[in-house]
Amino acid sequence: MNFRHVWAVMRKEFHHIIRDRATLFLVLFTPTLLLLLMAYALTVDIKHVPIAVLDYDATQTSRAFVQQITAGQDLDLYAMVYSIDEIDALLVNGEIKAALVIAPGFDRDLLSLRGMPLQVIIDGTEPNSGNFAVEHISARAETFVDSAVLSQWQPAGVSSDSLSVLDVRVQTWFNPDLKPRNDLVPGLISMVLGLPALSVALTLAHEREHGTLEQLLATPIKRAELLLGKIFPYVVVGLLNVILIPWLAIMWFKISFNGNFALFFGLSAIFMFGVLSMGIVVGVFMRTQAAALALSFLVIFFPGFFLTGIFFPLASMPEEMRMEAMFLPGTHYAIVTRGIFLPGVGMEVLWPYAVMMAVLGLVYIALAALFFKKKLG
Amino acid sequence: MNEKIVEIEGLTRIFKKTRAVDGLHLIIETGELFGLVGPDGAGKTTTLRLLAGLLNISEGTAALMGFDLNNQPDSIKPYVGYMAQQFSLYGELSALENLLFFAELFDVSSKDLEERTERLLEFAGLLPFKNRRAAHLSGGMQKKLALACTLIHEPEILLLDEPTTGVDPVSRREFWNILTELHLRGTTIIVSTPYMDEADRCSRVGLMYAGKLIECDTPHNIRKKIDSEIIEVWPVNWQKALDKVMELENIKEVQTYGETLHILVDSGERQLPEIKRSLKKAGIEVRSIRVAPVHMEQAFISLIRRIDA
Repeated sequence: MNFRHVWAVMRKEFHHIIRDRATLFLVLFTPTLLLLLMAYALTVDIKHVPIAVLDYDATQTSRAFVQQITAGQDLDLYAMVYSIDEIDALLVNGEIKAALVIAPGFDRDLLSLRGMPLQVIIDGTEPNSGNFAVEHISARAETFVDSAVLSQWQPAGVSSDSLSVLDVRVQTWFNPDLKPRNDLVPGLISMVLGLPALSVALTLAHEREHGTLEQLLATPIKRAELLLGKIFPYVVVGLLNVILIPWLAIMWFKISFNGNFALFFGLSAIFMFGVLSMGIVVGVFMRTQAAALALSFLVIFFPGFFLTGIFFPLASMPEEMRMEAMFLPGTHYAIVTRGIFLPGVGMEVLWPYAVMMAVLGLVYIALAALFFKKKLG
Repeated sequence: MNEKIVEIEGLTRIFKKTRAVDGLHLIIETGELFGLVGPDGAGKTTTLRLLAGLLNISEGTAALMGFDLNNQPDSIKPYVGYMAQQFSLYGELSALENLLFFAELFDVSSKDLEERTERLLEFAGLLPFKNRRAAHLSGGMQKKLALACTLIHEPEILLLDEPTTGVDPVSRREFWNILTELHLRGTTIIVSTPYMDEADRCSRVGLMYAGKLIECDTPHNIRKKIDSEIIEVWPVNWQKALDKVMELENIKEVQTYGETLHILVDSGERQLPEIKRSLKKAGIEVRSIRVAPVHMEQAFISLIRRIDA
């Protein structure tokens, strides 16, 4: 290994990144843009869901309940209706996303603690809004029980625990503040920080397409020198993002960062090496930039989405997919980011993942060097 | 001198089913300026890439400075300067940065670096443009920069693949002046070219056709090989004259060149009056008719026609 060769390639690659504005912009800001886009798209706050209410009870209590659930911006009362058929028509036309049916005797049953006879009908073609309505109604029902009922019964010695007989299922995890992002954003960070791998995958094909590889192969440079020289500049650029992106998460999304930043930075550097080595493997096999990009999406980008456990828990995957996920540096890094951001865990927990990422990086770079022939055809 | 610096035996490269280079035998001695000529697709580029170690050899052997390309393709690289046919430098780097990049890859010592880059930039006439990005240089300047990059490690052997294609005549002349200077200093040069006037400037020429080396000799001897003289006719009506000339007896071959016809005959002096007479009898007017010297181009076309026939 001649480090002068590596250094020469690195400098050249840096010039390429810095002087080509498009490349510079892409490697610097794509992760940021993608994080913003996905963090918003995936945790979009559902508001103003139109619902209809069919109130068979028609008592003061039931009216108070309807008022309670439609207060605020979450659910909009589209219509008070008088039959199930009307609900059906409104749902079919898409005018409402959900309907609340209050059974006769709602007032009596509730106040006598016998139960809360409610039915929520949702539009199954748009489960997000429908589920939102269900969650919201459940949450408001809890509040309603607290305020309207408990106040009446507490003087009589009824504790709030005994109200569980009311079968009000309350999903306390949901609330309209940013809580889901607390979990999502660190996962997304692990994904967007791997994006420079796409750029690396393109660099070899770029040299092939521009004919510069021909001149490069005519020099005494060793394969590993060339590959390392190509990877390191992107590690450096990637590490700029390792600073920028958590800052964005903390300042913009108000995610709490409970771990040690130096540790995060160090493990991120290992991840960069791992994922960029994976990128260079793609570059070794593909002869054109278009093909390299397509393969990167197939083996780096999409698996980064679906296999790394950001959205779908690893535990729920079939055995074979879990095996495959282990070969993605992003899988281990997702655990690292989540662990450092939220519980703020340290090396005593994260060391196996650090080792895995480093090993994967070495395996990939070795593969790349093995299959990269210093030949044109 | 007179050492065998390049030894090629049965060199063959097969792409799928095409034998791009087919059983090449060639020995080149130190200090030669060897021209590789031939039509497009003859196998010139493939031959040079094989010699530069950029392609695997399918059959046969080739050795440069005693290093076998089959076994030690990397050992020859420090001694060889290879210049690809298309522009293959880094457009976003300046002329100087390109030179420095290749200097470092070729392990030019840092103490020689400044002196050598300066000298090469001057040699190539690029000193005023050393900080300009390579992409913004003219075609001729790019070629000269590429040559400077292949010279940065002072190679023993230069492999140049059509270095003057797409370059204006003035730059072409300058480029060849540089090559001649290198040749005089003793560098072995193998250069491919589609231009016959360039072939004439080589010390020896190899004629490639369909992957094979069909002739290999000095330009003088190649011209003699066709064993003919040339009568050049510039008729008023080209087509009519061509039809008539084709009917003449005692002529070997007719080549067309623009508005003129080149008639290959055994003896120009003897047959010129004969041909003049025949054309006059057929009522064909000529603007001029004369015995002309044989050029590489005519020899080249004639030799290829013989192979095809």
